[in-house]
Amino acid sequence: MTNEEFMDPTDSVAVPRKTATRLSTLDGKVITLLDISKAKGDHLLDRVEELIRERAKPQAIIRKKKPTFARPAPEDLRAEILKTSDAVIEALAD
Amino acid sequence: MTTPEPADPFEALFERGVTDGLPVVPPTRERVAAMVAGSGREAGEMIAFVPPNFGRASVEKIAINAVMAGCRPEYMPVVIAGVQAMCEDAFDLHGVSATTNFHSPLFIVNGPARTALDINCAAGVFGPGRRANGTIGRALRLIVANVGGASAKTMSMSTMAHPGRYTYCMGEHEEENPWDSLAVEHGFAAGHSTVAAFAGEAPHGVYDHQSRTAKDLLITISKSLEVVSHSKSTHHGDTLIVLSPEHARTIAGDGWSKADMRDFLWHRLRKPVSELVPGVDGGEGLPAHVLAKFPRPETDSTLIPKFREPANLKFIVAGGTAGRFSAVIPGWTFPKMSRLVIKKVQSREEGQ
Repeated sequence: MTNEEFMDPTDSVAVPRKTATRLSTLDGKVITLLDISKAKGDHLLDRVEELIRERAKPQAIIRKKKPTFARPAPEDLRAEILKTSDAVIEALAD
Repeated sequence: MTTPEPADPFEALFERGVTDGLPVVPPTRERVAAMVAGSGREAGEMIAFVPPNFGRASVEKIAINAVMAGCRPEYMPVVIAGVQAMCEDAFDLHGVSATTNFHSPLFIVNGPARTALDINCAAGVFGPGRRANGTIGRALRLIVANVGGASAKTMSMSTMAHPGRYTYCMGEHEEENPWDSLAVEHGFAAGHSTVAAFAGEAPHGVYDHQSRTAKDLLITISKSLEVVSHSKSTHHGDTLIVLSPEHARTIAGDGWSKADMRDFLWHRLRKPVSELVPGVDGGEGLPAHVLAKFPRPETDSTLIPKFREPANLKFIVAGGTAGRFSAVIPGWTFPKMSRLVIKKVQSREEGQ
């Protein structure tokens, strides 16, 4: 028996995900701040928005919220973010 | 593969990051083929997409994990029903797997499969010793990690988790149950085998040696339910109460039905707003958006329920015939809750 004969218990296509290329600057970009709807997530994102505006010149900052933190963001919300934004910052708090 | 795997197959599988921290049975093609055959289904048949990564749980992927867990091929129909149950939207495996809370899916087997596969429902029901309980529960956990992607090193964010995340599978002690079984109560025929998935914390023991009436015993149980999460938390969803045979006999002996128990506990487990104010007797309490509905919460006597509705209180009978101990198993309740989901086991013959 060799180890190569062992079958793969993972869904090898689904599990590894490639991350998008990172932006080199936030200047002129549209940034979505996504609140996953845990308590006080808005406090954290308010501060993140302040810091971004202090340190960069984004074209726009859009605020979005998931209906519930316990489930994935709805497909239409993901599609909208993808269509409108150059970057997304997803944040939670508790 | 860039680096050679260790020659020892058990070590090689640890290296691949596909175990739960215990050694696994190497999933050779022969073993997996035998496991697929045990299902009575085709290897490529798609059973479910497993959250949070929505990995594809084909019969073959389920079989590979079942081999690794140590299952026998005849367990496959129960494992498959467990996958179907936990992947139902109402169970919210996405939330259960990614939460910082403690929970793990608990699998409860009813019907003929329980005896046919020797699934323990009696003494030591949550403990070690039976292959079926140990390996069916383990297979389902490996599927959550390996197919769903919620391994302890990546997606799972539980602050503490609990030991049931290794394996958490039991039978209901139907012979000692004075009421309908969990499955029959939820509309399944007594002759059918079913698997229920319930997102549970670890069992919390309720000791009562002295109560001799249903009411007295349920008051004791209500005191343990009162402190689920914390004594001021409210609006809980599905919660499991595991009655030992002796306790079940005491309650049924007074003529109480499951509906009577639910009604009694639900009404008893309400508290006035005044006792749920944060900062009064501890910092926890009602969340701000609920508190905002009451102008003078410190004196408000409006009753707030611990459980959203009586139906959220689920009862089963399990454990040994000696011992006046029951258990409370808190469910995963936030924010739309994980619901108990039951699936019929499709026998090997039905699969063919």
